[in-house]
Amino acid sequence: MLKLHYIKNILKVSSVILFLLQLSCVQNKKRENIIVASAGKIESLDPAQANTLRTLQILSALGDTLYKVDKEGNLYPSLAKDLPKVSKNGLLIDIPLKENISFHDGSIFNAEAMAFSLNRFMKIGTLNYLLNDKIEEIKVKDEFLIRIKLKKPSSSLKSLLTSVNLTPISPNSYSNYKDNFNNKSFIGTGPYFLESFNASQQIIKPFKNYWGEKPLNKGIDFINYSNSSTLFGALKTKGVDVLISNSIDDMQRLTLNNMVNKGQLKSGEGDPIEIGYITFKSNKLPLENKKIREALSYTIDRELISQQVSFGTREPLRSIVPPKLHKKVFTPWPKYNHNIARSLLKKEGYCETNILSIPLTFRSNVPADKLLALTWKDQIKRDLSDCIEITLNGVESTTVYKQLSEGSFEAVILDWTGAYPDPEAYLTPLLSCNKINNNSCLKGEAVFSGSFWGDDKLQELLEKSEELEGESRLKNLIKVEQLAAEGSAYLPVWLVNPKAWSLKDISQPEFSSDGLIILKNLQRY
Amino acid sequence: MLWIISSLVFILLRIAPGDPVDAILGTRANEFARESLRIKLGLDKPLINQYIEYLNQLIHGNLGISLNTQEPVKVIISKALPASLELAIFSILIASLVGYLIGFAGAVKPESRIDFWGRIFGIGTYALPPFWAAMLIQIIFAILLGWLPIGGRLPPGAIPPPAITGFLLLDSILDKNIEIIFNSIKHLILPSVTLGILLSGIFSRALRLNLEEVLKKDYIQAAKSRGIKDSRILVKHALPNTLLPILTITGLTISSLIGGALLIEITFSWPGIALGLQEAINQRDYPVVQGIVVTISSLVVMISIGIDIAIAYIDPRVSY
Repeated sequence: MLKLHYIKNILKVSSVILFLLQLSCVQNKKRENIIVASAGKIESLDPAQANTLRTLQILSALGDTLYKVDKEGNLYPSLAKDLPKVSKNGLLIDIPLKENISFHDGSIFNAEAMAFSLNRFMKIGTLNYLLNDKIEEIKVKDEFLIRIKLKKPSSSLKSLLTSVNLTPISPNSYSNYKDNFNNKSFIGTGPYFLESFNASQQIIKPFKNYWGEKPLNKGIDFINYSNSSTLFGALKTKGVDVLISNSIDDMQRLTLNNMVNKGQLKSGEGDPIEIGYITFKSNKLPLENKKIREALSYTIDRELISQQVSFGTREPLRSIVPPKLHKKVFTPWPKYNHNIARSLLKKEGYCETNILSIPLTFRSNVPADKLLALTWKDQIKRDLSDCIEITLNGVESTTVYKQLSEGSFEAVILDWTGAYPDPEAYLTPLLSCNKINNNSCLKGEAVFSGSFWGDDKLQELLEKSEELEGESRLKNLIKVEQLAAEGSAYLPVWLVNPKAWSLKDISQPEFSSDGLIILKNLQRY
Repeated sequence: MLWIISSLVFILLRIAPGDPVDAILGTRANEFARESLRIKLGLDKPLINQYIEYLNQLIHGNLGISLNTQEPVKVIISKALPASLELAIFSILIASLVGYLIGFAGAVKPESRIDFWGRIFGIGTYALPPFWAAMLIQIIFAILLGWLPIGGRLPPGAIPPPAITGFLLLDSILDKNIEIIFNSIKHLILPSVTLGILLSGIFSRALRLNLEEVLKKDYIQAAKSRGIKDSRILVKHALPNTLLPILTITGLTISSLIGGALLIEITFSWPGIALGLQEAINQRDYPVVQGIVVTISSLVVMISIGIDIAIAYIDPRVSY
């Protein structure tokens, strides 16, 4: 009896505590700001240092870019007044700027400010090589006109000017940060200003003097959680309003999509910008043999892999440039056909007694990579066990990136997102090579990407594309990709769409062409 | 000891594949950009010079600057350590309460039903994979029942009180902010209960075994034969003699928790030192990794010394 009495008392006390705790729940209150959650800490808000999707997402709300890309893939002016004027020799680019635009600190946005920002990025930016390789000098021609002098003609530079990394910052507020990063504040021209910043939470509020369309919400709170399950749970329990997909596991994506289908959530999807692919090291046998690489390109059943790994949420891909950027469907890599693969391998002396062994490396901290590796291995075992054997090797991603250019991996699963929405942002980093010897790249991007594959004709076309514009440039880049497919040093697997889910009382998330949510369009009903 | 640890960390980090320059710039940066950053970060210097400079700074209490954020490592640690300590303190309290209660009940009535279930509990909680248990608890209490928050130290959007001690609960009490006090308790419950229950198995097993052994000793039998009450024998004679190994185990557990309970911190997005260490390792942020390891090691050494002193104080047979 005494024990029962104690238990009852304990239960009573626990109930009171839980009740009090529930009362304290701020979640039940109507929130003013919209809470956007994603994975990954923000260590720095300096556009010269930003390189994570999450940082770029916030910067896109705090700053503006000179140009933006519309849904059709065309450039249109944002802070610029007009499209860039390129000189006949292609070496000078004049950019007129809009007037009457002010920074969050009240100072005026003009050519001096823009030149200051670009020069600072070129000096200290972690990705400054993107500009330094192309730009000779930036000059202020007029109060609202800047002139960019190029080292050589570069048609891709215009797309590069849409990059959030090049958002202008106030020279007044950054006078002490000309040569170093300003990690914890940001003074730009964007629709929001930064109200508070710490590594796990950032709050932004609408900027009253914003020159463009005003935000439809009263502010955004960015928060980060360290894993997919917590992010998923946070949205499901309405702890957050919007969830960005960058680190959501495929299983949880599927559940969220099912909730969208049942009308419990809303979702928005951007144009796919991330590609998943396999790199083959092509400077050492057996993969030095082009026919073997070609055979391997027939061995992957992308539809099956997409279903098995991502329940169909990752779109099968047979090109290394997202199709939208080519403005037409272009699939230079072959479809899955194990019969062709077998016959090609037989011609090279494999199958039956001589089985081709491929060590496939995947990043052990990327769940989708592991599932892709396992599924491909099983699929090969099912269809081509008499010809190919895949052995798996999981390596932490930082180690993979370091050892990629050292030629440590015969075949490795990777992904890539272009720094700006342009085919060149996918082709150059994977294919460009400065020194080629017999289809083997000795120096250049192809070394960093781990393929060590180079092609003189491809390189020539790639360089030529910098001098071309419009349709002829796109055609040229299509030729580049066709040659890359023939070389088979890469095997594109899938395309990943940026996606976001929101609660029912929040508007559907909309995406810009660079895969970022347009935060100012989010609103609470 | 600290010198050995700090030197080992320094060497192991440099041996490990991966490069802070890669982590900051990505692998696509050209050689000029990479070299410039390497010079800026001081990574171009010979290893021996880097090591001497590192030791020199360490001796002067300077843990360096983060390669990634350019923030002093001291500041990074001072933000993350209180979160881990807060979690560790509450977890130990829960683990002690649950573990010692169960262990005590089992030892007092060996082979009884309570002893049987206590042992099952002890073995079960010890064997449970922490990440699995944490996720299960998270799913049940945060997602399905919705009783408690899923992670973090405060609800999204809540403004934390001014950091005086770094301990959120203490700071919110000092700030007299009732809402934040309750919210910080709410956020603390799931991770600390999870960790506490997982640790309680060790405590219950340790107490039960030691107490059972002590209760079989001759002096206990002698006390019983003198007609001393069972409760008095337990409290006055048996428990103090069980205290020594228990104190050692508790101390070691506290030491291990100072380094943060990595899986718990990751699962509950608890911004503690283990999470910080994991991120720093991923980014190959050498000064942060070195700073965190040295700080944790120092605290572990201090706690071990504290326990040794306490044992010597409690047990007159022990002397140093």
